[in-house]
Amino acid sequence: MEDLSKLYDAILVGNFKQAREVTEKALAEKVDPQTLVQKHMIPAMDEVGRRYEANEYFVPELLIAARAMKASLELIRPLLTARGDSFAGRVVIGTVKGDLHDIGKNLVAAMLEGAGFEVIDLGVDVSPEKFTSAIKERKANLVAMSALLTTTMSSMKNIIEAIKAAGLRNQVRVMIGGAPVTDKYAQEIGADGYSSNANGAVALARKLVAA
Amino acid sequence: MRFKLIACEVLYRELCFCVARSPHQIDIEFLPKGLHDIGCVGMLQRLQSAVDAVDASRYDVLLLGYGLCNNGIAGLRTRSIPIVVPRAHDCMTLFFGAKERYLAHFNANPGTYYLTTGWLERGEATGELHQLSISSQTGIDMTYEQMVEKYGEDNAKFLFEQLGDPTKHYRHMTFIEMGIEPDDSFRAAAERKAAEHHLDFRMVRGDMRLIEQLVNGEWDRRDFLLVQPGERVKVDYTENIIAAERADE
Repeated sequence: MEDLSKLYDAILVGNFKQAREVTEKALAEKVDPQTLVQKHMIPAMDEVGRRYEANEYFVPELLIAARAMKASLELIRPLLTARGDSFAGRVVIGTVKGDLHDIGKNLVAAMLEGAGFEVIDLGVDVSPEKFTSAIKERKANLVAMSALLTTTMSSMKNIIEAIKAAGLRNQVRVMIGGAPVTDKYAQEIGADGYSSNANGAVALARKLVAA
Repeated sequence: MRFKLIACEVLYRELCFCVARSPHQIDIEFLPKGLHDIGCVGMLQRLQSAVDAVDASRYDVLLLGYGLCNNGIAGLRTRSIPIVVPRAHDCMTLFFGAKERYLAHFNANPGTYYLTTGWLERGEATGELHQLSISSQTGIDMTYEQMVEKYGEDNAKFLFEQLGDPTKHYRHMTFIEMGIEPDDSFRAAAERKAAEHHLDFRMVRGDMRLIEQLVNGEWDRRDFLLVQPGERVKVDYTENIIAAERADE
């Protein structure tokens, strides 16, 4: 029987090869995929988040942990989908029109994926039209957008307006982030939430889809 | 009148040029460009200390050579001397001479990394400011060799792809020529830098108008904010960019 604590450890230290190997063996031994996710992988990502908050981990550690998680999830996901298990939520993510800075966005996307969300990453410089059509076509229930500059922050407002105009505002919750963004700005433009960091973004996403 | 000018060193040459020709007597204090990288809380603290240290009895007005700079001036207060601040998102507005002209260029040329003399010769933060910078604090400024040592070669390759080049999505590197450069050495340096980053090199003519108006005391309310004693700067999410409010609010 495969020692599943090795999966937890592999994610914690960002060893994606070990994460994949342990997952392969566990699945071959007919371990329930949902058990792997809920009992080992998500707890590992939660511990990664805790260490980040405690300044024990930094951005690189988050990225490699999420990469290991993803390596394992790629093996598990088809099994979950085949038996009809759903994701924590389906999120459309991107940096807003005019903004090309994607380190934070990539980090949030990876962390959300690690937390069991289905992530549709639209990349950088995403127009309001691209956001609305992705929400519509992929039936997303969450939108996450970021901006690094105060010059491009105003695009967030335009995107929320476009979502409203497309009649999709009741279908999705909207969360925003990026260096110049604040709680106050989120309120001002009618977003549902703001997070100052990737770990907080996961907690916020869970809260928003549960509400 | 006598002005005190506290400014970012990225405007060094432009401000010195205009101060020399100003009808007013101006004392300049330049602060390091690295403030822009340490986050808005740290930047505000440093800027506030500089403002608080100004002897209000010696000056009529305090001028700020800053934009909103990623909210780095949001919350800046003044106790006893009026402050004049340009309405600008960042220094690019000052180099373009008007916030409207900067915004038009920014929107029409997506993916542009701008350079000026200050951005070329006063580029990188060093020492304590570098340690405090967001990129250093979050661990995203590591070299490839440091990543290999800490996370192994395979993870290092992945991390370097993600974090290694902050300009990877940029398309152009544009030198803003202000007309005060000594020769074409800065333009040539900008062109070399664009080639290093595999970006398309461009030039645009800057405009000294806003910088001149700041130091000449021509403060049109559409382009400049006046912060009275007892007030502080706040963010304004309109085209005004910044506003003043009572500091006790």
